[in-house]
Amino acid sequence: MTEERLDVEMTVNGVPRGARVPARRLLSDFLRHDLGLTGTHVGCEHGVCGCCTVLLDGEPVRSCLMFAVGAAGHAVTTVEGLAAPGGSPSPVQRAFAECHALQCGFCTPGFLCTVTALLRDRPRPTDDEVMAGISGNLCRCTGYQNIVKAVHRASELMAEAE
Amino acid sequence: MTDVTQGNAYVGARAPRVEDGRFVTGAGRFVAGVRLPGMLHATVVRSPIAHGAVTRCDPDAALAAPGVRAVLTPRDAATLRLPCISTAPGQREASYPVLTEEIRYVGQPLALVVAESAAAAEDAADLVELDFSERPALVGAEAALATGAPLLYPEWGTNLVSEFVVGDADAAAAMADHVVELTLRLGRVAPCPMEPRGTVATWEPARGELTVWTSTQAPHLARDHLAGALGIGCDRVRVIGCDVGGGFGAKEHPYPEEVLACLATRRLGRPVTWIERRGEHFTSTLPARDAVHRGRLALDADGRFIALYADILSDLGAYPASVGVNPAAVSALMLPGPYHFDQAGAKVRAVVTTTTPIGSFRGFGQPEITWTRERLIDEAARGLGLDPVELRLRNMIRPAEFPYPSRTRQSYDSGDYAAALELVRDRVAARAAATPRDGKPRGVGFACHVEHTGMGPSAEMEAAGINAGGFEIAVVRMEPDASIVVSSGVCGMGQGIETTLAQLAADRLAVPMDRVKVVFGDTAYAPYSGLGSIASRSLTVGGAALIGAADRLRRRILAIAAHRLEATPGDLEITGAAVRVKGDPAAAITLADIAAAAWRGRDLPDGMSPGLEEREVYDPPANVYGYAAHAAAVAVDPDTGKIEIEGYWAVTDCGVVVNPTIVEGQLHGGIVQGIGMALTEEIAYAPDGQPLTTTFMDYLLPSSPESPPIEVELIQVPSPVTPGGMKGVGESGVISAPAAVGNAVAAALPHVAGRITATPLTPYAIWSVSRDG
Repeated sequence: MTEERLDVEMTVNGVPRGARVPARRLLSDFLRHDLGLTGTHVGCEHGVCGCCTVLLDGEPVRSCLMFAVGAAGHAVTTVEGLAAPGGSPSPVQRAFAECHALQCGFCTPGFLCTVTALLRDRPRPTDDEVMAGISGNLCRCTGYQNIVKAVHRASELMAEAE
Repeated sequence: MTDVTQGNAYVGARAPRVEDGRFVTGAGRFVAGVRLPGMLHATVVRSPIAHGAVTRCDPDAALAAPGVRAVLTPRDAATLRLPCISTAPGQREASYPVLTEEIRYVGQPLALVVAESAAAAEDAADLVELDFSERPALVGAEAALATGAPLLYPEWGTNLVSEFVVGDADAAAAMADHVVELTLRLGRVAPCPMEPRGTVATWEPARGELTVWTSTQAPHLARDHLAGALGIGCDRVRVIGCDVGGGFGAKEHPYPEEVLACLATRRLGRPVTWIERRGEHFTSTLPARDAVHRGRLALDADGRFIALYADILSDLGAYPASVGVNPAAVSALMLPGPYHFDQAGAKVRAVVTTTTPIGSFRGFGQPEITWTRERLIDEAARGLGLDPVELRLRNMIRPAEFPYPSRTRQSYDSGDYAAALELVRDRVAARAAATPRDGKPRGVGFACHVEHTGMGPSAEMEAAGINAGGFEIAVVRMEPDASIVVSSGVCGMGQGIETTLAQLAADRLAVPMDRVKVVFGDTAYAPYSGLGSIASRSLTVGGAALIGAADRLRRRILAIAAHRLEATPGDLEITGAAVRVKGDPAAAITLADIAAAAWRGRDLPDGMSPGLEEREVYDPPANVYGYAAHAAAVAVDPDTGKIEIEGYWAVTDCGVVVNPTIVEGQLHGGIVQGIGMALTEEIAYAPDGQPLTTTFMDYLLPSSPESPPIEVELIQVPSPVTPGGMKGVGESGVISAPAAVGNAVAAALPHVAGRITATPLTPYAIWSVSRDG
């Protein structure tokens, strides 16, 4: 018995992409293994750690809790798509490196996606808004202090760029 | 390129991390991203019962399932064993089986299903038919020693694996004016790196070679153990370490799953991958801590410490695994901390229970003993009506006393323990004083520790029963274009060692840091390391080796330059891209000219061999000892028992600081791990041996709202032992954090302070204690 496969197409980082996959293929596995975008990481596969966070039509989602077919026809942004078209890092990427907001780098892609959406909605967040905004992403290395700092720094960089 | 002059331009600088460019763009190479043509996927079938035996294992239905290529059962791996890195007195086994029909914990591997996809392997795993005979479970170290307890190994006649004394046994009964006794419990916790464990193994029959990509802190140790288990020569096994998404001790040795993946690729002739599920992490990756300490502190009428004693009972889980009893031994060795005692000693006992075997986790026995010692000191201060900081200062080892021999055979090399504690006290006093008037009890707690780092002298490790050398090797090469490659036996797992080694090399060679490339993690090109990146040793031991190699290379460069410039080496200096005669900028030769000559074997001083590469083996003459003083401020919600940490301070001495930003980051992360251990994290078991915490919804890592702002200050007392003056710091943060939090909670709840003894201090635990009090 072979498993039924479906054509799944979506826009990923601005480019139309597609693959023929089983119905139960998770969005995280689709991105990582069918499309080769291994920057999205999988840390728990039960929707808690947030490592697999990507943007679906601009909103952060857990790609491990979603089937690829559920994202068909939508626009997905992964960590590979955060930099500007010329490849220069986004303010959030720059701020994370500047503020030492990452150590092992495994949770980082999820944080970058979460924070990108957070700052779009709240360009000058308060400390409490930052804390709440990143509370759905786990990091085992940094203790979060420098991540909070990086969110504020990214906010500054974005304001400077305007 | 920046012009830098020789010496100390980079040591101490907040150099940006060289790792970050790839990590912020999603270009890190982690093991789960390794995909090979024809790769198969493996899933482990695990025991659902805690104790008993497999009476039937029938793989036929699984083998018939779509896409399944093999099912390995205990019969396929009957002789495969992994070695213990360390063994304790009395320990009967120095290795453990990869697959066995004898079951001693829930989650123990029983079979491996290999299929065309991960989904097919998981579907088929449910079809492996297993029958069991069950025996009673055994949960809890004290229960293991009770009369009539089920025996895990009936042939031993006991569940006791090892019993020994460290230091002064007489400390248990020392007479004094005041004696404080507490029974303290350290919960079982999981390292939980965000990247699970994982392996990709491929056997190439035509070459007779096995290549293994794995998330590891110790590539050579992994190679040696895999080769040994499989009966393949070390020369035929290559381990590639990948980017490692956090280790914290969990990835310092290969596990049964890695051996099984290798066995499967040898059987099938196709690459095989196994990636750990998070649920598996809680039952298959070795957890840590899990001990009961009976502690006793004796003081004279003036508050002088007379004797400290700890009866340490360690729950090893199902068998002594790779490090076995060693964390409990380290608890004993680090018992005295930064204080004088006339006598200090510990009795260590370690038992088996029907739970996952314990292993290494950042701190390795030291958070446990710091909890015990520092809680005893605070309760002594309370009993004597003394300020707890004052009591500590009265008993601290002073700078003039180094090298200081502790009562437990440690020779502390350097430090200024009192200065750091005074500084942390000042920082706490200087904080904003306005206390919210919300009726919550509040308290501040202090804790101090001496950290065993830079493991270690190989001869001393042999005496301690550790089956690995403690030295490091570094190779530094200047390429023909004057770029520099450093290869090291230590490796990266987030601690920034790629950056700090580049800083050291650039500093010693007086070249810009962007000319230095650091490579490690691959046994095909990295020099041998028996231990890898564990035990706060990478920069101390690996860095010391690098300094030696870089200094040799610099001397070689200067000798060539002296020959070419007709000068004496002492009159020369390296300035970024050239060597010049001091005070005569016109007399210079570029590094590229020197390097090209060296690699072409021409224009060299008489007798000098071609090439520009040097190697140094550094076997530390002694361990080196870091130090920290911590303080925590907490508020307790009287209605729920929830503890909120409102402030946290740490003053740390790790000797010469190569990159303060990186050290501060290590401390932040370690402290929050310690807070997790203190407040929320625990692997719990039901009495029947069933694990109760197998997801991040019931095993609670600190998230951002639970993580307080942390003020870190670094004081630098250089180690007289290490070339470069460094002391290790990777584990420092986690060691004092639980004790500082515990002491703060006890200060907030003085009427029940003597019952603040067990981690984690969950809301329910605090609520129960407060209500009874």
